[in-house]
This record gives sequence, structure tokens and C-alpha cells, in this order.
Amino acid sequence: MTSDQNFLEFINIQKTYDGENLVIKELNLSIARGEFVTLLGPSGSGKSTALMLLAGFEPPTSGTIRLNGATLNSVAPYDRNIGMVFQNYALFPHMTVLENIAYPLRVRKVGKAEAAERAQKALDMVQLGQFGDRYPKQLSGGQQQRIAVARALVFDPALVLMDEPLGALDKKLREEMQVEIKHLHENLGLTVVFVTHDQDEALTMSDRIAVFNDGRIQQIDKPITLYEKPANQFVAEFIGETNMLEGTVAASDAQTTRIQLACGASVQATTVEPIATGARARLSVRPERMTINPSSDGGNLLPASLVETIYHGANAMMVFRLPSGETLTAQLRAGNPFLDMTPGTAANLTFNLMDARSFACA
Amino acid sequence: MASEQVVSTPMPHAESKPGRNLKQELRRAGRRHQRSTLLLILPVFALVFAFFALPIAGLLTGAVNSPEYQQNFPRSAAIIEQEGGFNEAFYAALYADIRAADEARAVGKVGRRLNQDTAGFSTMLKKAARKSRKTVPAEGEHKAWFKSVDKRWVDARYQAALTRAAPAYTDFFLLKSLDLKRNADGDLTLVDEKKRLFVDVFLRTLTISFGVTVLCCLLGYPLAWTMVQASPKWRNVLLLGVLFPFWTSLLVRTAAWVIVLQKEGPINTLLVSSGLVDAPLTLVFNRFGVFVALTHILLPFLVLPLYSVMKTIPKDYMRAAKSLGARPVYAFFTAYFPQTLPGLSAGAILVFIMSIGYYITPALLGGPKDQMISYFIAFYTNNTINWGLASALALNLLIVTLVLYALYQRITGGNRVSLGA
Amino acid sequence: MFDPSLTRGEKISVSLTFIVTGLVLLFLITPILAIIPLSFTADSILSYPIENWSLRWYRVLIENPVWAGVTRNSLIIAFAATICATILGTLASIGLNSRYCPKPGVITAFLLTPMIVPVIITGVASYFFYSKFGLTNSYAGMIIAHTILGIPFVVITVSATLQGFDMNQQRAAYSLGARPFYAFRTVIMPQISPGVISGALFAFVTSFDEVIVALFIAGTEQYTLPRQMFSGIRENLDPTIAAVATVMIVVSLTVLALAQYVSARAEAKRSS
Repeated sequence: MTSDQNFLEFINIQKTYDGENLVIKELNLSIARGEFVTLLGPSGSGKSTALMLLAGFEPPTSGTIRLNGATLNSVAPYDRNIGMVFQNYALFPHMTVLENIAYPLRVRKVGKAEAAERAQKALDMVQLGQFGDRYPKQLSGGQQQRIAVARALVFDPALVLMDEPLGALDKKLREEMQVEIKHLHENLGLTVVFVTHDQDEALTMSDRIAVFNDGRIQQIDKPITLYEKPANQFVAEFIGETNMLEGTVAASDAQTTRIQLACGASVQATTVEPIATGARARLSVRPERMTINPSSDGGNLLPASLVETIYHGANAMMVFRLPSGETLTAQLRAGNPFLDMTPGTAANLTFNLMDARSFACA
Repeated sequence: MASEQVVSTPMPHAESKPGRNLKQELRRAGRRHQRSTLLLILPVFALVFAFFALPIAGLLTGAVNSPEYQQNFPRSAAIIEQEGGFNEAFYAALYADIRAADEARAVGKVGRRLNQDTAGFSTMLKKAARKSRKTVPAEGEHKAWFKSVDKRWVDARYQAALTRAAPAYTDFFLLKSLDLKRNADGDLTLVDEKKRLFVDVFLRTLTISFGVTVLCCLLGYPLAWTMVQASPKWRNVLLLGVLFPFWTSLLVRTAAWVIVLQKEGPINTLLVSSGLVDAPLTLVFNRFGVFVALTHILLPFLVLPLYSVMKTIPKDYMRAAKSLGARPVYAFFTAYFPQTLPGLSAGAILVFIMSIGYYITPALLGGPKDQMISYFIAFYTNNTINWGLASALALNLLIVTLVLYALYQRITGGNRVSLGA
Repeated sequence: MFDPSLTRGEKISVSLTFIVTGLVLLFLITPILAIIPLSFTADSILSYPIENWSLRWYRVLIENPVWAGVTRNSLIIAFAATICATILGTLASIGLNSRYCPKPGVITAFLLTPMIVPVIITGVASYFFYSKFGLTNSYAGMIIAHTILGIPFVVITVSATLQGFDMNQQRAAYSLGARPFYAFRTVIMPQISPGVISGALFAFVTSFDEVIVALFIAGTEQYTLPRQMFSGIRENLDPTIAAVATVMIVVSLTVLALAQYVSARAEAKRSS
């Protein structure tokens, strides 16, 4: 029942290190051949552990991992044929760059000449063709990172794992590498499982993102779905910025939920899951979906006063205070005339029903 | 699709606490890893255990072991153990024991053991054995027979010695190693003043070690400090200056000091020819020689840990203290010196530990009055074959060493201080 | 030379410290060096000034079969003990630094005791114990005893390098397809070799310089160089001892140079 859709499967995986606490409480995940899936989450959420299980450095406590239809559980790490890029690269300092890249070929008893040729090709692929004789320590962080990628790809692994591979790089280099890795993925048709705690990285690179928290996948979806339609409060807050306002549910059906907010306003939001009337609920609206002083009354109106305006170059964040004392931010493009408002000025904030989501309070 | 199905099937233990079989599984996997790890350690562990720990344990039991009498004189030993008193039955048993032991040529062993307790026993026993070959005392006449051989056999002092020697275990050697003994009533008393030795030896060992430690601190501190302050090039020169003697053979260094300090040696030649002294001084085979050579040998053990600690102290502290108004001497003793204390005390304890157990240097460079406890352990092992006493002294030395080592571990926090190289 | 912010008093005390340091260094080095010229004297007493120079004591050294014999013994025992201590100690260190090792602190402390226990106790204890198994007066006994004395040094140095070793490298090797032994040989061993080599050097010097255990368990057949020197110093201190000492100084300088080279190379590799 192998199919490209279920190329890699985690089935009912649980993991505990100490026999007391489950680091992974329940993990079910299918990844298609050629897909780029990112495991995203805060530290301790279980995402790195999932990668360790996949690489074979840790056995799952229960459940099955299958790759291309075959169970991986009892396969030793060196027999899995899975390439891995480590967080600190784990390049062998006593070998040259070329020796590092040729290492997996040497292990597989590939002939000397062929190994050298393939290693050189991999090195060219990451645009470091002339650095083969250097030692890893003589290269910059970004160069070492590319060597690590080349080494993980040179033996044509069935699957490539990347454990926060860009964490040690500065912002500019990180963005360059994101694009480069994405291109490698597309050009070589790789299946990649990528672990990061950086949401921008995840949004930029992935076909799908699995958001981890507390040992479970909170939501797995395409980046755009994740951003626009977060399945729960954790995802809404973890991906991008959002305003959270508390209130009581006045009415809730399959499409819309009406919430009586603490600040006094009554607003409507898209229903994620219907909530019982009278229950506590939270409303989430992205700052860039807030409008100030609308010409027409869209129904969701929040009277507030400006606290301060923070410039970020291309856009600015305006922080407002509601009568309840809660603060709310609105993001505006630079040049918007509202940015000249002085602190203390009263304003009406509105948002669209489609841009607001309601979550039950845990 | 099976996968669809699995996704929707919740695990029985999906909540945060794993189940029991899961824990067992985990423990089993842990044990498997543990076993393969222990397999790596096992050879060394077995070797050190069998050829180091066991011998030392054996040596230490030697401090309380006293099998000679009981093994060779079982009949009389049994009567003593049952507190039968020194009656006719005892002497009859003793006679039988002596006969049997004489046949087995074991009288000497028992004599030596008894002589360690009370001098004269060896002769008494030999004499009794000799006489026993010729005369057989009549029934009921055994005690009188012994008395006629040597009247000390019925003397309470010698009977008390027999009582002490008869059990398989004794505190005799341990007490003796502390200059204590049991009198005829079994109470602890100090041994006669003339025979007191070991408390003196102990104090001497501690005094010499303490002196050497202080000397090492006084000489080593400025050296380590300079090493830290110096430019990298000079630092290397100084480091080599410390490592060279450290790596040089102990015997070479000891020989060097004998030659340098002897009457015809370069120091005396220099002193006499410069007119500072009229006749050559005695610099070796006395306490002075021991101090000089031990300090020389142990100094690197102080300098290297101290240096490794000093190296990590930023220079800013002295400057900060001064900027806060402290005068240089005050700044040194309040801002800098306390931070070097871990290194200094680690080094000092190391020097002290090594020095209390030193054998070679005092043996070759000291006079009879400068011998330390190690010398006596060797002496009682080799020369007088009083192994019980040697063991008791070794036990004392070992206890002091281990206590100091525990202290050292506490100070260094289990981190082994680097020994350069 | 001085930090310009120092006061005059400080400059004086710093200068004094430098002078004291110089004197301490003289104290550390000159006595050892003083023995060297004496080995080239033509006289039979060990005193300065040396009036006639010659190599006669080196000739004595070479021609006297006793010295050749003890040198051979020392080398055999030291090499054998070094090899055993290095292999066993390295294996143990790897086990001790594994995260699966139970109570590594206690086991390490136990393995280090031969370094802590005064050698006189080790010597006497070995004498009593080995004699029961016919190991006194034998090469095997000497090699076992010296192996045990060398093990702590190997464990300390190898553990130190292992603690600096990134265990992700082992995982990386596995992920690239290397089996455990292959990974050990190609990835771990080359990187911990400085620690292994300096541990081996320590073990070698420990054995080559050991005299107390030899005093108790070596028969005349197994006399080592230091054991023979011990007798020499005690009974008949003549220029042959100075000649032997000179040879040993050269040996220890070589070992020191080796050790420095190994650590300098390791340092260079780390920082390049």
C-alpha cells in the first residue's frame, strides 16, 4: 500500500526519555514523496525529538515509523539511508571538505575515482567547488552549512532531515540559504523534513508546516492556511502577530460567533468550532487587518485611544488602548495619513468578520 | 486507506503519563545500553579491582589479622578463647601444641608473632620446644614443667601476651601504630616512654609535609602569577621551566640534590671559596635536604593547578578594585587573591597528599631522624617482617590520604585540575 | 613592560615578584642541569670544578652489562604497561563518557585511586598479594602493577578530550552510513588521539620512573633503571649515576618535547 502520498509515515508515535513524561504524546503524520515539510514549534515541543526518532538516534517508545512502506523502527541509523544536516553542522574537523563530502561514499565502498567525482559535483552544486582542500574550520559559518548540505545529499538519500540548520547564521545569510535550500529541494526533487523554531523560515520554505506544541501537532497545513485559518489559539499566536481580546459568547453557529468583549463592544467573528453561549472565548485579529476610522460602519467597531506609534520603516505599528485597559495594535503602511495622529487621540477601530476568528478559552 | 484509520485512532496511553509496560520497555532498553557501556569499562575495572583493590584490602585486613597462634597452636588457643584460665589443662594443651608445631617446624612463626608483643617469647618458645623433644611431663605436671623450663611461662605479663595473641583478630597492631597497648587488665595505656615511636613519626610526617606545602605555596604563587602576567613567549619559557623538572625522573632529581648538596658539592664549594663559611656545611642526609628536595619535586604540582585557575581570572578585577578606591595591596588581597584560592588550595592539598606518602626522597636524602611514615611501612615489611604493624601503619596513612583527597575533591568540585602538558 | 597605571610601589613589588620567579626557576632547573657536566669528568668523584673531561663513565655505562640489562627491563616493562594502560584506559573512558554509564563519578573515582593511594602502600600490598600467585620476581607482575599505575593518567586525559568532543559527530557519521566501529575508527579516534597520546606518554613516564613498586616486587632479574639507580645512590654514588641521569634527562626532555608537540598540534587544530 505504498504510495507517493504516504512516503513517510509516523503512526501513533509516543516518546518518553525518562519513563515519566511523554515528550511526544501522540504523533500521526504522513509526508508525500518530494514534499518539503517543516516541523515548527517552540523548544521542548517535541519537534526535534521527532527528527531524532526519524534519524534513528532514539527509538520511539511506541508506534511505528514507515518509510516507503517499510518499517524503520528496528533499522539502525546507518542503514536508513537518510541524509541529515545537523544544527552545528557536525562536519569532521580532521577531514578536508572533500573528504567530508566523500565520507558517505567511502562508507558505501564507492570507487575512489567515482567518489571524488561525485563529491566534487556535490561541492559544485553548493557553489564551493574551489574549497575542496580546505578544512571546515577555515570556512565561514555559511560555507560550512553548505558543505553539511552537500554531504547530506551526495549519497542520494531517500529523505533529507534538517535540524535547525540555519540557526547559527546571521539574518541576511539565513535568508539567502533559505532560498538556496528551497531551490535544491525543487531541482533535485528531494523529500525534506525541516525542523525550526523560526516561523518566517517555515513560512518561506515549506510546502506544509506541522506546528508542534506540548508533544502534539497542533495543526498541519500549507503556510497560507496556517496564517489565515489557524485552528486554535496557540497556532494563531505562534504564527505571525495577532491581537487577542477576551469576551463572552453571545451566539455561535457554524459560520459566525458573536462575542461580547470585555471592553464593552459586541463583535462578530468567523467560527472555528462552535462555542456554547455564555462561555468565555477569545477573539483573534491580525494587526494588518485592522482599519482606523472607517467611512462605513462594518459592524465590528472598537472605540479606542492611541497610546503610541512605532515605526518599522515600510510600515508602522499603532498601539491603542481599549476602555477595558487591553491594548490592541494596528499595522499600517508607511505614508498612511493616520500615522500622524498624536497619542491620546480617540479613534474607532474596525475589522472584517472574515479576518476575525474565535477560539474557546481553554 | 490504513493511514486514515490510524490517524483517527487514539492511543490507549495518549495522555501525558506513559503506561507501566512502557516504563518496563524503557528500562529494558536502558539496561541493554548500560550493559554494552559497562562492557567497555569492565576490563579496567576488573584489573584494578583484582590487582589493586584486593591487594590493598588484603593489606588492611593484615592490620587486624593475627592467625599465627590460632593456626599453629589450636589446642591452647581454644582454651584461652573459652577463658579457661592458665591452669593445668592449658599447659597440657600448650605442650601438645608445641610438640605438634615443632614437628611441623612452625614454632618460629608463633615465636615471632609473640615476640612482636612481648620481647623474649621467641627464646622461651624455642627453649621449650627443644626441651619438649627430650622430656615428657607426667600427667598433671605440665604447668610445673613449663615453670621449670622458664618461669616466665607462668608470669602474668607473659600470660597476658598469650591472651592477646590467641584470637584470630587483634587490635594489637593498630594500637601499637598509635603507641598504645592493652595492659594485663585489658585497658588502653600508652606504651613505655622509651618505646614510643609512631606518634612521633606521624607528627614528623605531618610537620615535614606541612613545611613542604608552605614552601611550595611561597615559591609557587609568585611563579604562577608571573606566568599569567608574562607575554606568550615568556609564558612558554616559564611553563617549560616548570614542566622540565616535572617530567624529569624522580631518581635523577634526587641524585641531583645529593650531588649538589653533598660536602664536596657545588654549593659547599661556592660557600667555602667565597669565604662565607669556614668548613663545608652538612646540607644533605638531614632535615634540610629532605625539605629542599621535596619542595623541588612537588613544586610543579602546586604551580600547574594554580596557574590554570589564575589564567581564567580577568585582569579587570584589580582595575575595578582600584577604580573603586582600593589601594594596590588592599586591592590584591580583596579582589585578586580570593579568586586564586581554589587553585592554591587544590595545589596545596595535592602537594600535602603526595608529601605525606613520600618514600624515595626521605629515604635517600634524610637521616635516621627524618624518616617519614612510609619508611617505617617499608622497614616493617622488609627488615623485621612485622607485617601486622606495617599494615596498621599503612591503614593510618591511607585514612589520612583519603580524607585529604575527599577534601581536594570538594574544593575542585570533582573537576580534575589540569596538570599542564 | 609595566602597565602605565601602576604606582611606583606596585612597580617595585612587580619587579620583586619577577626576581623571585627567576630565582624559583633557577631552583627548579639548575640542580638537574648541574648533574650533566659531572658525567663528563675523568675523576671518580662527583665534584666541581671538573679538571679533566672524558667519556669514561659513559664507557662504563655501555660496557657494564648490568646497566644494559636494567635499561632493557625498563623499556620492556614501560612499553608493555603503556600499551595495556592506553588500550584499557581509552576503552574505559569511552564507556565512562557515554550517557548510558551508570554512576560514572563513582567508577572514575575508583579507577583514579591508584594515583591517590601512596605508592608505598601499593608496593607493600602488591608484594603480599602477588607473592601468593607467584607474580613477584616476574615481568608479568611488574607489567600489571605499572599498567594499574598508568591507567588513571590515560583515563584523565582521554576523558578530558572526550568531554570536548561533539557527540553529534558520531551521529553524523551514523546518518552518513558508517557502522559503529567504522565511525569510531574514522571519526572519533582521529579526534581524541591527542588525549590518547598524552595519556600514553604519562603512562610511559610513570612506569619508566617508578621505583617503589619495583623495590617490593621486582627480583634482580627484573631490576629497572630507577631501581638500579636507587641502589646506586644509596650505596655507591659515582659518576656512572651522573651519566645515567644525563641519559634520562635527555629521554625526559624528548618526552616533554613530544607532549608539547602533541598538545600544540591539538591546539592548532582546534583554533585554525
